[in-house]
Parts: sequence; C-alpha cells; structure tokens
Amino acid sequence: MTGPILSLRGVSKSFPQGGLFDRLLGRDSRLVALDDVSLDVMRGDVVGIVGESGSGKSTLAGLAVGLAKPTSGEVLLDGAPMSELMRDHAGPWRRRVQMVFQDSSSALNPRKSVARCLGETLALCGVPKTQRDSEITDLLTLVGLGPEIGPRLPHELSGGQRQRIGLARALAMKPEVLIADEPVSALDVSLQAQVINLLSRLTSELGLTLLFISHDLALVRTLCSRIVVMRKGTIVEQGPCLDVLDRPQHPYTQALIAAVPKGLAGRRTPLPVRAGAAAPEPREDIHGAA
Amino acid sequence: MSPALLSVEGLRVGFRSADGGMIEAVRGVDFSVAPGEAVGIVGESGSGKSLSMLAVMRLLGAPARATGGRVLFDGEDLLAADEKRMRALRGRDIAMVFQDPQSSLNPALTIGRQITDVVRAHRGVSSAEARRIAAEALERVGIREAGRRLASYPHEFSGGMRQRALIAMAIACRPRLLIADEPTTALDVTVQAQIVDLIAELRRELGLAVVFISHNLQLVAEIVDRVVVMYGGKVVEDGPVEAIERAPRHPYTGLLKACVPSLSGPVGPLTAIEGAPPRLGRLPAGCPFSPRCPDAIESCASEMPALIAEAGHRTACWRPR
Repeated sequence: MTGPILSLRGVSKSFPQGGLFDRLLGRDSRLVALDDVSLDVMRGDVVGIVGESGSGKSTLAGLAVGLAKPTSGEVLLDGAPMSELMRDHAGPWRRRVQMVFQDSSSALNPRKSVARCLGETLALCGVPKTQRDSEITDLLTLVGLGPEIGPRLPHELSGGQRQRIGLARALAMKPEVLIADEPVSALDVSLQAQVINLLSRLTSELGLTLLFISHDLALVRTLCSRIVVMRKGTIVEQGPCLDVLDRPQHPYTQALIAAVPKGLAGRRTPLPVRAGAAAPEPREDIHGAA
Repeated sequence: MSPALLSVEGLRVGFRSADGGMIEAVRGVDFSVAPGEAVGIVGESGSGKSLSMLAVMRLLGAPARATGGRVLFDGEDLLAADEKRMRALRGRDIAMVFQDPQSSLNPALTIGRQITDVVRAHRGVSSAEARRIAAEALERVGIREAGRRLASYPHEFSGGMRQRALIAMAIACRPRLLIADEPTTALDVTVQAQIVDLIAELRRELGLAVVFISHNLQLVAEIVDRVVVMYGGKVVEDGPVEAIERAPRHPYTGLLKACVPSLSGPVGPLTAIEGAPPRLGRLPAGCPFSPRCPDAIESCASEMPALIAEAGHRTACWRPR
C-alpha cells in the first residue's frame, strides 16, 4: 500500500487586500482564496478540479507546483512536506511537479526558438549537450510534433502547437505530477480535442499523475478518473468522475451541470415553426411611453 | 416569406498587408436575418465571423476594411451610408454587445451616465426621462434596485452584471437588431447560462432580431432558429438549427459538433479535427476546409464549391454528408 503522491493537509491561502492607505489605517483585510483544504492525489490519478473563477482552483495549482507557499497547512509530495523539500534546494520538487499554463503565448519566451527553450530545460535537468538534440526530437515526437518545429519562434506556431511545446517543456523534466491549469481554454474547439487526447495518451503511457484544472465539466468527464468540485476556496464535492457528474450530491455541482450548454436538448425556448418562416412577434414598448 | 431585416450579400473584408497586398479575411459572405429571427454565427478564430459583423456595424478599424458586397438593413445599404447616418442607426436600430464587458464600459463614468448618454443621443428626451428609461432598461435585464444602481461605477459590478448593463444599454433605444459577439465567453458557465436566457427572453418580449456570434455550437443551439457556419472567411453551411444539430451536411459542421464532448454518453477519445485553422493569406483556392477534411478529394482543394440551397438549408461542399 503506497500513500498519496500529492497531499494537501488543511491548506489555507490568503492574500492581503486593500491598498497601503488601508493598511496604514489598520483597515487591512485578507482575501481567503483557499480555506482549510485537504486533498489526497494517488499516483496515476487523473484528477479534474472544477469550479468558477474565484473558487480557488488556480491557487491550489500554484501551491501544488510550489509557486506559492500556503498561509497555513502543509503540501506533501510522497509524504515529504514541501517546506522541508524547498528549504535547501527547490530543484527536486520543481522537477517532480511540473505545470502547463493556460496561455501558451505568454508562457513561452517570444525570443527563443522551440529548440532553445526545450534545450535550456534539458540543460537544467543535467542532460549533456551532446544528447540534447536527440532528446529535443524525442520530446517533440512525444507531443506529436515533427523536428521541423525546432528552429521556430513561438509566434510562428499555432495555439495548439504552442500548447504542445508547453507540455513538452514540462515533460522534459520527467515529472511525476503534471498540473495543467486550463490548458485548452484558450484554444479553438477543433484544437481542444487534439490536446485533450494527447494529455490522455501521455498520462497513461508515462504513468503520470495529472491535476487538470478546468471550468469545462464535459472535458473533465472525458479525461479524468476523479473530480474535485471547488467553490469559494473550499472543496464542496469530490469522488469518481462519472459518479459525481451522473449523481451530483451538492447543489453547487448540480448548478454547474445544469449550466453546461446542451444544444437542442438544452433549449428552453420552443423551436420556431418552419412553415411560413418565423413570423416576427409584435413589438412591445418596454418603456410604456413612446 | 417576410423580407429580410438584415441581408448581407457578397461581403468581403480585407487587410492591407505590409507588402502592400490585400489579404482577404471575409471572402464573399451571404446570409440574411428576418425580423425577429435569431441567427447564430458559428466558427473558430480566423473564420471571419466577428469581422463580418463589425463590417455590418461599420466598425472595422484600419487596416481592415470592407472591400466588396452589400449590407442591406431594412433595404438600405449600410456600406454606402455616410458616417452621420451610421451614427444614427448604431445604438438605435442596431445594437451590439461585445465579448469583454470590462473593456466595453468606460471605467470613469457611472453605469447610469453611460446608458443615459445613449438614450439622449438617440431619443432627444430630457435628462430626467433618460434616467427613467435607463433605470427601466437596467431593471428589464434583471438588475435589482436599478434606480440606485445607476450611480454605480463599472468596477462595482460583477462580470455578469456588467454584461447585463451592456445589454440594457443595447436595448434602451429599442433596436430591431441585436448583435452579440461572444457575449458570454469571458463569463463563468453559470453566468453564461443566465445571460443566454436573458437574450432569449428579450428577443421574445421585444421582438428583437438577434445575431449571436459564438465558437460554441451547443450554446448557440439553445437559443437560435438558424445557424450559419463559417470557415476560412466563407459560409460553409447555413440551415435551421434542428438540421444543423441533427443532420449537418458539411463535414466541418459534423466534426465541430463531434469534437465537443457532452455530459452524457460513453467516455472515450474525442473526435479531433487534424491540423490547425487556416491562416489568412494561405488559403487553398478551393474549399478552405479541404486540407483538414477527412472526406476531401483532389478537386476540393482546387475549386470552391458553391453554397447550394436545398429546402432552406445551404451547404458549400463537393461531398456533402
């Protein structure tokens, strides 16, 4: 029996609110982004974290990847507290937990070619110079791109290709845990499916543990084995993905599901009668007076 | 058949490129909107959907400009109208709501001032009457204590409330056509559902015609009567919403529907559309979707199929499904 690869134990995160003036007057308050959250992620789990803006899902991602420290509580990797792992040298944590960001154009340096960006990451991992070119080709192949992409700059790539580079850069570290914060929400729908299928293939091929942060319940349903529903900094419901989405217990989960666009099936207004083309309805004067 | 309220005929929009050439982004688009009808325009980035509607509103900024075609609103060609005439029509007869409610509002002016400015410009009423109209419009879009909220600034509103305020501004002068360009993309999904319901409700009650631009076919299908699908600056399919949803004829429409997963049905790999959306200026001579189309044959890339109508359903495809 092995323990969880990633754990949050009673984690809270708050940020100071208000300006300097408020603080001088002693009126400072804090915005609580995460409120006493505990979560265990088992090795190989693909966990979807859903919620609306302000639910704390991106704050949670930042804590898990070590970009921020919790205000209270502890984040553990394989049972070891982050505060200890980070104290002397942040490297090991960073290598084992990697992140893919939402906006691939701002996550990549616009002046560096794809090969240079990946090469620098490989250098950080201690890959000798002689092996880097072949590893870059391997990484590109892994994310479904050809070696001709190497010399290109980020702006010469499509959004989907850029997001694949972001993914390749994260995978260069050979991480155990991958955290993807809304990785497809900036992409066109026809490209979303490509990236989701790629994530799905990579997690199973590489045995990755994935935290997939999204507001899209249908994508989470496709990709994830577990789901965590967050609201206002707390977890309101979690469990196996299909169980939760098919039989939501919490009213907030139910509201999220009800709000997903469902095409014709979700229509609340009747379909128009086709015969004589839609006749315009009489205009009402909304103001009463003309 | 009632005459169209808006009729877009052969519309072309181009950009002057750095080397002096012209890059076409909208390449001969035809569609119409009947009075009171709700039409969805669906397409991915670069499809030309937003540019087409900006051209209709005559809001294209340099270097983009309309290079051909006609835009008939109630029989009048808007592309030929002078700026004074456009200013009279915009906001009064045709109103537009944009994607980002934050940047569509002036942060330094109260919500009330911004709505009353529009009302006074178009309706020539007293300021007291304009405030009354503004308060009614705010109330109509579901903002509680509307009278008091007129004094609020945009930053005091949530994203959903800002979009409601913009819709209030749009309907305050009782337009006949409301153009909504991705009005919910920046909003949370629960707020999105409320805004979509609000637009459907206003349309029903005020007899508004609506053009709803979105990349989300499922969302659009919840409220429109007809869907126009655009790709690479062209209309590739246009038909009643039931037909588009249940039996799309263009392979792109079918794939667009299939690549978005639903909350029911089996879980498995998603249907993906290979390749990337086309880049302007690098479109094939034929069907713009042919490089990514699983059904494409050789001639698809060389010759553009015409938009052929069959029982009110138009498709531009050599091999319709």
